Amino acid sequence: MLRSVPNTWIWKGSTLASDEVVIARGEWHPANSSRSVPAALKQDGERIVAAEEAFVLVSAVPERIEFSQRVGSIPRRMTFPDGSVFETRDNDSVDRYLRGRYGARHGFIHGLERFHPRLIVFAFAVVLLAASIYRFALPVLIEVAIWATPPFVPEMIGSGTLASLDRTVFSPSELPEAERKAILEGFAKLAANSEGGEAGYKLNFREGGAIGPNAFALPDGSLVLTDDLVKLAGGDREMILGVLGHEIAHVEGEHSLRQIYRVAGVAALVMLIAGDVGSGVEDILTQGGALLALSHSRAAEAEADRRSVELMQAAGYDPAALARFFAVLEDKLGDHRDADIFSSHPGTPQRQQDIRNYAAELQGRPGAR
Amino acid sequence: MAMLNTTPPAPAAGNLERASFTGTASEYFGIWIVNVLLTIITLGIYSAWAKVRRNRYFYGNTVILGRSFEYHAKGLQIFLGRLIVIGFFILVNILSIIHPLFSVVTTVLILVALPWLLKRGLRFSARVTSYRNVRFDFVGSAWGAFVSILLGSFVAFITFGILAPLASRWLWRYIFNNMRYGDRPFVTEPRLKSLYGVWWLPALMVVIGAALLGILAAGTIAAMSAMSEDEAAAALAFSPVHFVFILVFVVYGAAALIYRIGVRNVVWSAASLDGRHQLFSDVPRWTYVWVAVTNVIVTIITLGLMRPWAAVRMARFTTEHTGIAVVGDLGEILSSIEATGAAISAEYMDMEGFDFGF
Repeated sequence: MLRSVPNTWIWKGSTLASDEVVIARGEWHPANSSRSVPAALKQDGERIVAAEEAFVLVSAVPERIEFSQRVGSIPRRMTFPDGSVFETRDNDSVDRYLRGRYGARHGFIHGLERFHPRLIVFAFAVVLLAASIYRFALPVLIEVAIWATPPFVPEMIGSGTLASLDRTVFSPSELPEAERKAILEGFAKLAANSEGGEAGYKLNFREGGAIGPNAFALPDGSLVLTDDLVKLAGGDREMILGVLGHEIAHVEGEHSLRQIYRVAGVAALVMLIAGDVGSGVEDILTQGGALLALSHSRAAEAEADRRSVELMQAAGYDPAALARFFAVLEDKLGDHRDADIFSSHPGTPQRQQDIRNYAAELQGRPGAR
Repeated sequence: MAMLNTTPPAPAAGNLERASFTGTASEYFGIWIVNVLLTIITLGIYSAWAKVRRNRYFYGNTVILGRSFEYHAKGLQIFLGRLIVIGFFILVNILSIIHPLFSVVTTVLILVALPWLLKRGLRFSARVTSYRNVRFDFVGSAWGAFVSILLGSFVAFITFGILAPLASRWLWRYIFNNMRYGDRPFVTEPRLKSLYGVWWLPALMVVIGAALLGILAAGTIAAMSAMSEDEAAAALAFSPVHFVFILVFVVYGAAALIYRIGVRNVVWSAASLDGRHQLFSDVPRWTYVWVAVTNVIVTIITLGLMRPWAAVRMARFTTEHTGIAVVGDLGEILSSIEATGAAISAEYMDMEGFDFGF
């Protein structure tokens, strides 16, 4: 004896047996339809049914019903094999049913996520793990990336950077031809003793404009020396060569590439692990990171200082010439505006001392420590 | 708050319905910290499943007309999509090591593949989203993605942002006008005049920022390049010249935020569903900047641990300033909308592709 079907899309109208147990109340949608009717999810013997009062809307064995996993307290969906969906906000009742059927392991992830003092332990674990990833895993990843970098990448970065600097701040060098030639000769002697050999490096002279007295190395082995730095050295050519030795070391050690990978690696890891850091933090990671990628780590600077000493020694120059250069910088630029790098360079006296010590060590004399 | 006057007024016709957000920071914190922990422990693999849980939480708590949205993607789908994209890039890298000529070929290949991936990503996001058991769909083409996203950004870039509103218009028309809810289309026709109305203020901020930068900090980039990282960070924090850098960074950040939210207001308020039901967005722009900036500050000083709070706060803020004006009887309208064939089953063949999260 069937009552008239209240909703025309119900095609499985039949009455329920009397031993049903209500699991949860909610709404039922026919497949792919936005229409819904208030309904109850019931257990009817071995089958699960969605029913509007006494009328079965759909029924299936539990194995063929897809129960959505619990996330917070958002509505829970039970999708029947015919595509129709029972939806309820009564998460706890659904959980009780599923735990009764599949055991306590059901809903494990949600169990972890619930607001509970345990989360404090998780937070500590995350902070510890994040710190150790930064300390141990990141350096390994950087080495892998360096190893996997095809040779055209540093070339592209090098020529691209130089081209854009040429367009914006640089102009052709105004140094006398003889001066340039003399520096180039000394530079060739330095480079001959380095890993890449003479052919691995190219020294470019530029009028640095806003950049002022500076020298830097690009990952492809291009070095840039500004006119201001040559003038600053005041005819002491060894000093300039000491600086160039330092820059050669940056190329040898692939410091620029390492720094780029380090910054990019930190940004990528943070975004992967945190999932969604928000667009603001994302911008800081990518744009702030791009600025940091221009600088070298302190360890890289120290390494380059030492390598300069070795290269200068091998080429027959004063190995501690770089220290003289730093001293001049301190002297001449010390009272300049803050924009000058080395004036606020906290490591400079220490760096000079380290260079002299290492030079002394190499020359087999007792150090001045 | 005179600055707010360009925020379009909510449409008066129809039953104005604002959306609401029902998630809480404490509930999301648990989900988030477990996501982070499991992502680390599984060496990143869990991040695909983490994304599903995160999106289900946010979609499931975004409520309009008494019902929430639902996110249907499966972790495995997202994981496979990412594997394919990563595999593709590894292959490209290996090829370019073998012979430099390959790198030219693969660069062209990537340029061709990118619009396609963008399109697939948008389609995936639409198809795994449902409301009242009816899925969204996206029918845009790869060529459309190329013109509206890649060409658009290029045009905005080479004109120093002067044509940015034009690019925004292309982008959002591509996204909205190809979006479907069941069998019903979305349409947006943001007027260029309105887009320039939200453009001049951030543009002015950028110009002022550039002037500041030009006057005070010409040599600073050079300085930074020669400093070690620690020193650069220290200098950025303490020296007055580097302070200009921070200031400019903040001004540019705020300008970007103001433009982004201004465009959202204009685009959403010019959009409708099924040609009748007007969408609206009336996010107050300076409040938005305040929420975004304080979110970043709080997130950073708590080493990210307050990120869940920030995420929920932002979701609540923007959701509550978004809505729809439904014309006619709601029950009748909703019961006439049916899912279309394509969006129902194709989801399982779709890959996430790149997730740009528009």
